[in-house]
Amino acid sequence: MESIIFYILAGANTTLRIFFVTLIFAIPLGILFAIGKIAGGKIIKGILDIYTWLLRGTPLMLQIFFVFYGIPQLLGIKLDRDLAAYIAFIINYTAYFTEIFRAGILSIEKGQFEASKALGMSYPQTMRRIVIPQAIKRVLPPVGNEFITLIKDTSLVMVIAIPDIMRNTKEIVSREASPETFIIAAVIYLILTYGIVFLFSKTEKRLSYYD
Amino acid sequence: MKVVNLKNIEKSFGTLKALNGVDLVINKGEIVSIIGPSGSGKSTLLRCINHLEIIEQGTIDIFEMPIANAKEGEKTKYISEKELRKIIQRIGMVFQGFNLFPHKSVLENIMEAQLTVKKTPPAEAKAIALELLHKVGLDDKEKAYPSQLSGGQKQRVAIARALAMQPEIMLFDEPTSALDPELVGEVLQVIKKLAQEHMTMIVVTHEMAFAREISNRVIFMDEGKIMMDGKPDDIFVNPTHPRIKTFIERMI
Ligand SMILES: Nc1ncnc2c1ncn2[C@@H]1O[C@H](COP(=O)(O)OP(=O)(O)O)[C@@H](O)[C@H]1O
Ligand SMILES: [Mg+2]
Repeated sequence: MESIIFYILAGANTTLRIFFVTLIFAIPLGILFAIGKIAGGKIIKGILDIYTWLLRGTPLMLQIFFVFYGIPQLLGIKLDRDLAAYIAFIINYTAYFTEIFRAGILSIEKGQFEASKALGMSYPQTMRRIVIPQAIKRVLPPVGNEFITLIKDTSLVMVIAIPDIMRNTKEIVSREASPETFIIAAVIYLILTYGIVFLFSKTEKRLSYYD
Repeated sequence: MKVVNLKNIEKSFGTLKALNGVDLVINKGEIVSIIGPSGSGKSTLLRCINHLEIIEQGTIDIFEMPIANAKEGEKTKYISEKELRKIIQRIGMVFQGFNLFPHKSVLENIMEAQLTVKKTPPAEAKAIALELLHKVGLDDKEKAYPSQLSGGQKQRVAIARALAMQPEIMLFDEPTSALDPELVGEVLQVIKKLAQEHMTMIVVTHEMAFAREISNRVIFMDEGKIMMDGKPDDIFVNPTHPRIKTFIERMI
């Protein structure tokens, strides 16, 4: 039993690694692309629209396969499994964060932009100091949902044989015929997702100082 | 000095001409009230002065520097963004809806542009902010957030925020129109104080008594045009034009 738990926890390590690497890249990129969609020229907007349409319109599993098997064949390179997973998750989640932040920024009243401009602030200053801090508070609920979905989505990396929670669980179950392993896996996922819910409700409270 | 010099400016929204050939010179030290019916182009006029709207016709000079130049059938030529920002920061604007930054405290609201635009050292910016809070009568509110203030207090913070940039002209767009009647006085009081200090100001207002009291010049706008531009008494005591007469009788 103990060894089962340790084996699955080793998988949880992979899950968390993908989770954090994805977020570290996808959030800043999502903010940047959101600004690109709002303030960029026709070409930038067009490219970003196609990007978010493609990535949100196809299954993440397909994208993982494509990055791991497709790209190496197309480009004649070798891609490490982990790197392939990171790339697929980052480009997929960036697309979702782009749309969330775009909606968040667009929800900020025009008067905030006008007051900033009237004070002589530049567009980047206005974004960084006035608009994005307020937008982040507004998008907290959908971003929290994405975090939870991401934890669960990481289980897809088993399709390219990365030893995450799900793959290690499946391995134990088929080797030792111990269905209770599923419950252990479920509990670990629940602990992780509860942690996220908890952190987000804390953050929402902390940011409610100006309601 | 001609602080503002507009020649023949036009601005449309779709097919609607919000400004239809406006000429306006504001000299340093003048306190000008703009009155007129709703939709006559008063806000648009103010917003053209500090580049919140882009004109389609005419020329704009601010502080005797050319800002915009539009010729028939051509796209309006504005000076570069960077040069524009240098001019805009010398113009203070107060909006009808306050537009305070809700996530920043009162003090931070007043310090923000000093820090980011003027690069004033934080200690100095804070001293200036506190001094201005005192001036608008809100000494005890430095730590409050906008949501904790009444409308009148918000507008006084907004005035302090604009003044923190040491503007050479202040634009007020119906600064008391969003306020409950009992809160109008405290805001007008602050504007009056600025008038006594000879701040150059353009005030769009429906407060006729106030306009008459503080201004040395009153402009009446109608349908995107300046219909009359004169001394307060010329407009309030002997309005020659019947439209102006009706308007003023309705307002008082
Ligand atoms: N952003 C806008 N889009 C479309 N129409 C506008 C916009 N701003 C102003 N207008 C129109 O332009 C005219 C002048 O508006 P405004 O300058 O706000 O008038 P005032 O401040 O005198 O009430 C009005 O008919 C108004 O509806
Ligand atoms: Mg108006």
